[in-house]
Amino acid sequence: MTEKKHKGNLLKIVVLAIALFAMIIISFVGSEVGSGIVGSEPLSLFNVEAPKYSPAPERPFHHLPITNTMITAWISIVVLGGLFFIGTRNMKLVPTGLQNILELIVEGAANFIEDPAGKKHGTWFFPICTTIFLFVVANAWVGLIPGFETIRINGEPLFRSANTDLNVPAALAVVSFCYVEYWGFKAKGVSYLKTFFHFGPLWQAIKLIVTGNIKAGVGGLLNGSVAVFTGLLEIISHLMRMVSFTFRLFGNMTAGMILVMIMLFLVPWVLPSIFYGLEAFFGFVQAMIFAGLTLGFACAAVMEE
Amino acid sequence: MDVWIVVAKLIGGGLAIGLGAIGPGIGIGMLGMGAMNALGRNPEARGPIMTNMILGIAFAEAVAIYALVISILLIFVV
Repeated sequence: MTEKKHKGNLLKIVVLAIALFAMIIISFVGSEVGSGIVGSEPLSLFNVEAPKYSPAPERPFHHLPITNTMITAWISIVVLGGLFFIGTRNMKLVPTGLQNILELIVEGAANFIEDPAGKKHGTWFFPICTTIFLFVVANAWVGLIPGFETIRINGEPLFRSANTDLNVPAALAVVSFCYVEYWGFKAKGVSYLKTFFHFGPLWQAIKLIVTGNIKAGVGGLLNGSVAVFTGLLEIISHLMRMVSFTFRLFGNMTAGMILVMIMLFLVPWVLPSIFYGLEAFFGFVQAMIFAGLTLGFACAAVMEE
Repeated sequence: MDVWIVVAKLIGGGLAIGLGAIGPGIGIGMLGMGAMNALGRNPEARGPIMTNMILGIAFAEAVAIYALVISILLIFVV
């Protein structure tokens, strides 16, 4: 009896797989590129607009300096703000519904941050890191709403995922950089500058040489110059972080957008949905990495030597 | 003359992502190998291994993404 049932399930799976595979093949052959390879006419059913990409965000309202990524960023701000406003309007001790979900998110973020940072510094880092995470993930997922980029005004798309505009990741990177330095100064005071300008060992070596202890002084001179050099390298690495933050997020999100567009053009059925799911996952992962790296750098900045 | 600029742009864009994907590909392969080894030795630690592997993959992938940005810039902007 059970064996028979098992066989039936297997048959269903095989039929489903064959059907999906057939859909992929048919849509590929019917689309513009595939029909060119096979040598037939493209079917109007699979007529998908060729992917068009411009790195700069478009301006749907010609006379207004409002880009479509800006509108999308506002939408994700409104969605996040509205969600949290509605969820926490009348809070109960035992959460239900939306409040439950929001508490899950906030509590997860708090645990994620307090784990490496500790209680005291965790409360500093929590607002910024969580906001960055939520904003990036909201931007990524708002851009994935079906039909989002097809609404057009004056021939330009009205919406476009905000992470695919270089300015948004750049702004987030600058915010993250400023806060990391601020936390460093807050935790260590002026002595935080020692990370960058570490002249102490060099001065000591020069003092040793001046006072006559040349043998110890020369050895110290080498160590001192290495400390100065690593301090200068630290400045460069702190500045380069902004660049890598920016291009990591921008590149990932743009690549995802182009990938889905191209897959939709090549194989209009079934296959794009796989990449669509991948994009939803990668939006989450990139948001976590942006927030997590900010957290990691902040922890390194406030850490006692 | 213009044709050659277009040709150079396309070849450069293709080479940028093609060559730039080699290193991250090797890196992601090694990450996967390490994660599988760890999983084989300690199957209970599946959750942390997965999380850290995905984080590591995202970092390795970022290098390929830089190459992709260069190739996008070459093809669409320059």
